[in-house]
Amino acid sequence: MSWNFDKPLRTMCDSATNEADKVLWEKEDLGGITEDNNRLPVPIVLLVILTVITAFAVTFPLWGQRPTAEIYEGYIKAMSNPEVLAAKNDQEAMEKIIQLNKGKGHDGMLERHPVTMDDLRIMKPEMEALMAKGVHMDEYEVVGDHVVMANFEGNKRADGTVIRKQPWWDKGYLIDIFYLSYFFIGVTILIKRLPPSSWQPRHNH
Amino acid sequence: MLKYLFAKNEDIPSGSAAIFFGFSAIIWFVIGTGLGSFNAAKLAFPDFVTGNEYFAFGHMRQVHVMAVIFGWISMAFAMAMMYITPALGNNKLWSEKLGLWNCFLWNLGLTLGLTVLWAGITSGREYSDFPWPIDLYLATCVFIPLGINVWMTILNRRTQGIYTTNWFFAAATFMVIIVFLIGNLPEFFHLTGLTEAYLTWWFAHNVLGLWITPVAAAIAYYTIPKVTGNPLYSHRIGHLHFWSVVVFYSTPAAHHLMSAPLPEWLKSFASVEGVLILVPAIAFVSNIMLTMQGKWYMFVENIEVRFTVTGCLMAIPLNMQGGFQQTRAINWYIHGTGWIVAHAHLALLGFSTFLEVAAVYYGIQSIMKRKLYSITLANMHFWLLLIGFTTYWVSMTIAGLIQGAGKIYEVPYIDVVIAEHPYMIARWLGGSMVFSGNILWLYNMWMTARKGTVVPQGRLPHELAYER
Repeated sequence: MSWNFDKPLRTMCDSATNEADKVLWEKEDLGGITEDNNRLPVPIVLLVILTVITAFAVTFPLWGQRPTAEIYEGYIKAMSNPEVLAAKNDQEAMEKIIQLNKGKGHDGMLERHPVTMDDLRIMKPEMEALMAKGVHMDEYEVVGDHVVMANFEGNKRADGTVIRKQPWWDKGYLIDIFYLSYFFIGVTILIKRLPPSSWQPRHNH
Repeated sequence: MLKYLFAKNEDIPSGSAAIFFGFSAIIWFVIGTGLGSFNAAKLAFPDFVTGNEYFAFGHMRQVHVMAVIFGWISMAFAMAMMYITPALGNNKLWSEKLGLWNCFLWNLGLTLGLTVLWAGITSGREYSDFPWPIDLYLATCVFIPLGINVWMTILNRRTQGIYTTNWFFAAATFMVIIVFLIGNLPEFFHLTGLTEAYLTWWFAHNVLGLWITPVAAAIAYYTIPKVTGNPLYSHRIGHLHFWSVVVFYSTPAAHHLMSAPLPEWLKSFASVEGVLILVPAIAFVSNIMLTMQGKWYMFVENIEVRFTVTGCLMAIPLNMQGGFQQTRAINWYIHGTGWIVAHAHLALLGFSTFLEVAAVYYGIQSIMKRKLYSITLANMHFWLLLIGFTTYWVSMTIAGLIQGAGKIYEVPYIDVVIAEHPYMIARWLGGSMVFSGNILWLYNMWMTARKGTVVPQGRLPHELAYER
């Protein structure tokens, strides 16, 4: 396998390999089927680029994420607030809890995922145990009657802390950029190992 | 078939395995769509056949799904592999005998699997509904022998290069074994919870993405250049298509579980890959359409080209739906609705079925060297399939949107059921048209085998289609 990087966008093979490939390409009969060596048409290349941009753009608005236990942290703390304890009934207590947590950064999520005092009573013991441990509550989710680790990311140290936490906007996107880059580099090299697209086989010669 | 199972390999006529697979596939298609039509009737008319648990929708739904996937679609693939793989390598199938045993054991295993499903013995995992012994049977007696025959035929080819179709065949027969063995781990080792959910959808996604989609596309890469006589437009685009299927289709399992307590980064990663499914689709459709240059009259005149191009065109809405319906922004609305059922039928009954039907038409005629018995019946088959499928797809898509609205706005369930009723009737009508078309097809192919005009040496069946 010989490489030639003089004109990598034209071909990455040396001329001897290219010539051998051309002879084989023209000579070989694959069950009566032949192939041409046309380049990817420009509109197709543009469409592929547009698809990649769209893939990130359309998935990036992270609206629709499953709520994490973190959004209910304030609710659990507020349950022991004297104002809430003094409420006449559960409905009033819940209204006060919601009021106390307004503007603390999770308004949208809390609005879309409302809970009742009964829900909070079920969550409370496990939530408080986790909060006492000082874990990242955004890694936990409420699943049925339990608060479980679900949204984990990164490697952990022996003490349970995370080695590196991704920024809020990076939900698998950096991995994806690497993954895509490997793919496109790999396929480009593969295609550029063929004879240049300016050459077309003369079939049946 | 029985006389060949115990004959010497060299005494078995070339193409026997392909013929038995081809007719098995058609028969399973008739059975599968018949069951589908029956099930659709139960949804349209709830009082239709009641009082017997074996005819309850819950018993019969998965029998229909598995009969179509592992009977019709996969056996049509096996048929295509049995004759296309050697044709492209200018050699014979490595072992006709293995192919025939493969076909026999496949029919036996599938019959057994569907019987236990019908009896209500199921793993309860969608698309991998078979209990684990049947899964193991399918891996060892169905897909491994198929893979061995395909790989050995390719390894023993008399060409230096390997044509695009055979890349897909070789890779897909390997990948489907991996998918079967890993995707069913929850059943082998009793894994539960999210692990089970994730692997269930990894299996379901990849049976579609690493088996059905690539093999269906591979068939089109053969049919169009072979029947039109045009060279494949671009070997390069073939590379882009092949590798993008392998890279982008293998990863998005989590996009089936967008509301599950899985890490959000995993869902986003899967969702990006889900949109990128459009890359192989763009490559595939453009390569086939550009190969058709100068031969578009065959889209009208030739039944194999018409089926293939129609299937290929269906890849456009299929991948536009598939690419975007899994994103968080759209999935919350259509998840768990008939929209998904419509999409699944677009993939299986639209895109892949139309491509496979062409391969079976072409294969049976060219192996048996018989002209198609009736072009009229073939035309009726095409239109019944196309109109029936389109009716089904459109009605179920609309029904899905109604269900989505009902779900989001918390409309009482019974009101949604009432609103959907006309679409359920349309679904049944569409499905029944497909079923009727397949009965005609079975008759036409049977008569082709029995009474079709013999094709003279050196001519191809499609060249004589309109000659008396």
